[in-house]
This record gives sequence, C-alpha cells and structure tokens, in this order.
Amino acid sequence: MALDARSGAPKLQLNGTNGRRRHRPVRLSVKKKKKKKKKPGGVRNGAAAQGRPRNRFEQAPLYVAVLTYVGFGIVTLFGYFRDFLRALRLEKCHIAQERQELKEFVPLYQDFENFYTRNLYMRVRDNWNRPICSLPGPVFDLMERVSDDYNWTFRLTGRTLKNVINMGSYNYLGFAENNALFLTTVAEAVRGYGVGTCSTRQEMGNLRIHEELEQLVAEFLGVESAMTFGMGFATNSMNIPALVGKGCLILSDELNHTSLILGARLSGATIRIFKHNNMQSLERLLRDAVCSGQPRTHRPWRKILIMVEGIYSMEGSLVCLPEIVALKKKYKAYLYLDEAHSIGALGPTGRGVIELFGMDAKDIDILMGTFTKSFGAAGGYIAGKKELVDYLRSHSHSAVYASAMSPPVTEQIIRVIKGIMGRGGTNEGLRRVHRLMENTRYFRRRLREMGFIIYGNEDSPVVPLLLYLPAKVVAFSRAMLEKNIGVVVVGFPATPITEARARFCVSAAHTRDMLDKVLDALDEVGDALSIKFSRQKFSPRSELYDGTDFELDS
Amino acid sequence: MALSDAWKRLSWIYYQYLLVTALYMLEPWERTIFNSLVVSVAGMAVYTGYVFMPQHIMAILYYFEVIQ
Repeated sequence: MALDARSGAPKLQLNGTNGRRRHRPVRLSVKKKKKKKKKPGGVRNGAAAQGRPRNRFEQAPLYVAVLTYVGFGIVTLFGYFRDFLRALRLEKCHIAQERQELKEFVPLYQDFENFYTRNLYMRVRDNWNRPICSLPGPVFDLMERVSDDYNWTFRLTGRTLKNVINMGSYNYLGFAENNALFLTTVAEAVRGYGVGTCSTRQEMGNLRIHEELEQLVAEFLGVESAMTFGMGFATNSMNIPALVGKGCLILSDELNHTSLILGARLSGATIRIFKHNNMQSLERLLRDAVCSGQPRTHRPWRKILIMVEGIYSMEGSLVCLPEIVALKKKYKAYLYLDEAHSIGALGPTGRGVIELFGMDAKDIDILMGTFTKSFGAAGGYIAGKKELVDYLRSHSHSAVYASAMSPPVTEQIIRVIKGIMGRGGTNEGLRRVHRLMENTRYFRRRLREMGFIIYGNEDSPVVPLLLYLPAKVVAFSRAMLEKNIGVVVVGFPATPITEARARFCVSAAHTRDMLDKVLDALDEVGDALSIKFSRQKFSPRSELYDGTDFELDS
Repeated sequence: MALSDAWKRLSWIYYQYLLVTALYMLEPWERTIFNSLVVSVAGMAVYTGYVFMPQHIMAILYYFEVIQ
C-alpha cells in the first residue's frame, strides 16, 4: 500500500542511535531514507533517519479554543459598541471618511469590511511595523515609539533600543551582514556596474553578472539551467501564468503562500485544493482528474500541476517529497516545488529539501526558490530543464517586463553560493549550514521540554509557537520587547482564527548565548502569561522513548 | 511580607483574567464597563442566594423527610 518508487518491499533502515537494525512497516507517514549516495560526514538527517513522525501539530486542550472564542466575542461586542458611538458622533472617528459634499454619491469606503481592522488591529498595532534602524542581523536596534491615543497615531521619542535580539528576520544563514571584508566583491560590483540596471532583462538589462549567477544557481541545484528574477513574490505570481493556462489543472496545497495562489488564479487554470501534506487527499484528486477530465466536456486535462512548498512558513512543516514524487510519476503530473524558505537552510550542504530527503533534482519538474531568506539578498529563481527555462525567458511576464536584478544584489548571491559550495578557499558557508542545523535542533528541543506547543518538523528553522488567545499574543510581543527580544506574532487573517502564534526564525548567526537568553526569557514570559499548553511530557533523554521499544518489550 | 505576596498573587490572577477575556486589549473605560457588568451580575446572584437560601434549605430538609 505504500507508494514505493522502486520496489514494494519494506525497507531495512540503519537507525542512527545504538546501531541497532529496525524493521519498519512501510507506512505512508513514515519517511524512508533512500541511500543513494554516502552523505558528507558530520550532520545526520534528523527525523528522516530515525523514522519519527515528521510534522507534529499538537492540539491544545479544549478550554483554550473556548477561551479564544470568548475573547474574540468580547472584543467584537465592544467593537460594535464603539462603532455605534462613532455613528452617533459621540466619539471622534479616526479612520478615513467621506467629505460632506460627497454624501449623496455611491459610498467610497466600505465601513463594515474594515470592522476587524478598525476594532481589533488598531487597538494593538504597536506590535507590528516597528521601525528598525540598523542591519537586521542577529541583533538589531529599534526606534522607540509611543502612542498617545491608543495606537491611532505614533510618535518617535528619539531613543533607540540597542541590541535587541532578532528572532524574526529570515536570516537563516546569517548572510545579512555588513562586514566590509566579506563584501569586497559586492563593493566592486557597485563600482563596476552601478546600482540600477535601468532596463528589463529582455532589452538592455542582461548583464554578464546575471549570466554568471544563473550558471552558478543551476550548478548549485544540480539541474540543467536556471533563470533569476528581481523579486521573489513576482517569480511565483508572474511565471505560473506562463506555464499553465485554461484547460489545465492545478492541485495546490491548502496552506500555500499567497504568491502561489495569486499566480494560479491569474493563469486561469482550474484550481483544486488538497489537505495539507495529505497524500490520500492528493491521490483522490489525481484519480478524479485523470478519470473524469475537465468539468463539463470530460476532455482530458492539458496539464496537471501539483504545487507544494519546501517549508511552509506558518507551520514550519516539511513537504512529504518522496510520496509526492511517487504519485506524480504514477499519474503523470508535473511538480512545482517552491523552496523559498528551505533553500540554503536544509540538507547537509544547504541544497534544500531535495537533498534532505536524498532525492534527485531531476525528478522535480520546476524548482523555484527565493534569494531573500538564506542568501541575504532579494529575488527569486526558477530552475529545471533547459527547454523550460528557455521558454520562460521569452514568455514570462517577469522576464519581459520587470526590471533586472540590481548588480550588487546579484554579486551578493554569487558570493553566498560560492561560500556554501566551498569555492573561494573557505568553508565558512558550510559551517554556517551546520551551525543553523545545531541551533534549530537545540532551540526546538528546549522549547518542547519547557512545555510550549510547537508546530512543524524537527529540522525546520521556522518555529511557530502557538499562543491561541488574542490578548496573549499582544501581551507576549510586548513582554518580549521589554526583555529586549524582538519577535514576530501573527494573528487572524494570516492564520486560522483560533491559532494565533509567534513565529521564530532561528539563524546561524545566533550564538548559543543568545539562544539561551531568548529561552530563559521565554520561560519567564511563558509562566507569567501561562502559555505552556503542551500535554506531552518529554524527558531530556531521548533514547528512553523511541517508538519500537514498546514492541520489543512486550 | 505575606500581604505583599498575597497582593502579587491577586494581581497575577487579575492579569490572567484580563488576558483570557481579552480585556487586555481594551481601553480603561471599557474595562470599567465590563467589570461593572460582571460585578453587578455576580452581586445579584449572591443577593438572590442570600434571600432565598433559608426557603431552599427548608425545602430540601422537607424532601428528605428530616423535618415534617
């Protein structure tokens, strides 16, 4: 019943701990490590090698969901009350309103749609859009901001909060740095090419440095060819319409990013959604699509494209890549893998989620990624076969109309890729990849031991910590800022209404000291706010509770 | 000493109440309105209990045939 690409037999796995051999029943949810080539020494795959369930989404006790709704209910009632007072002119209205002369016209501002913004977000919006006045490295400086009228307007006091620990920037490998020694080539690129390209790639903006970058990206990923674009979001939203159109089917994961959804909608293809990482749901959709064809005419679909992401940034979960590739080969669909967060951050040499699972990059049809996160630059790439990339060079909106990537940004990406691949004489890049993995494992393990609910996979550097209640989300952010730690909290529109969370991004530039400081602060704040909802107790000695020990004992 | 500990404990409990009911996000006058509603409802319940408790107790004792 398992979708094994090669043979149907259950696989023998060498478990890393104690050197004992384990027979694993072949289940869809357990990862099989394909031993194709010997991995470079040092860092083992975490959950992949030990066969633990990969993505954990623990549920909170029921009272937490009830209290979340109670909290939202009370704030909504007060929201209606305040709107009533504003309508009666008993209270000054701070939001945009129409002028008296235009009252007879069709209304310009839809008051009710902004209910949530006006009555919930505005009350607490001092936790977002905080002005930063330094490099977003492992520590940064914030400008202090106060409000006199409950967050409708802000003023800067002029004081700077120095050395706030940064747990929110996507700085996975720590390449957002301003060390002049490392950035000499970038400075030379500015001296040679200037800063703006003043043209699109198709017209006059195709610089030699762009070609160099594309060759390097293709080599880094192990594919034939690659193409880079100036903006990561635009890479998705402008290239998917070039690949699929009307009469094609897109099977997209439930929790895909807005750029993928926008690109899919712009293309005009039919979109069907499968449950997050759920292979049965995907297989059922594929079977229906292949058997029934297009909705009314029952003609076969022109193309079926499965869109998934490497790491889902709100959950920290990894995609089930071996199973999806097996499904795609069985039903002859195409696979679009968006590695925005996972490229550079996963895998023993930073090649992303494909390397983590030990698979071949040639199995994935379209690899996409961004340079904003691990590479400390801006932009995105699409890689794959040469015919695909050549087609995109002339048919993609982003390639034809968007202006080309700026030269110093291009040079930054080139130097980072060379660093990770080990060229240029140093292995600083590889050391950072390993340090990121150590930091991730340590941080996640300590958080779990403290009793917080953490979503996602053991290997993912994106760590969502669930807070659930709206007031606790706000209190958490403020309490952490008082302890000089900057965190990102996310609430309703970006997450389901009962699952508000704080999202930490572990970086290779964080030292063990900084992580310990953050963990101690989290311990205190967790007790003060009582957000340690986890009901699973973890002993710090992991060899005591490996799954199959139960079978062997009985 | 014990009084300041008790005060700290009470203020932590009040903070938890503010967080759970989302009063933490509201302005002070809104908190006053909500707290007065809660206090008045609780007060009315206590008063009703006080007024009717003797009759309820007599009815229970009569039901279990402790008194005729």
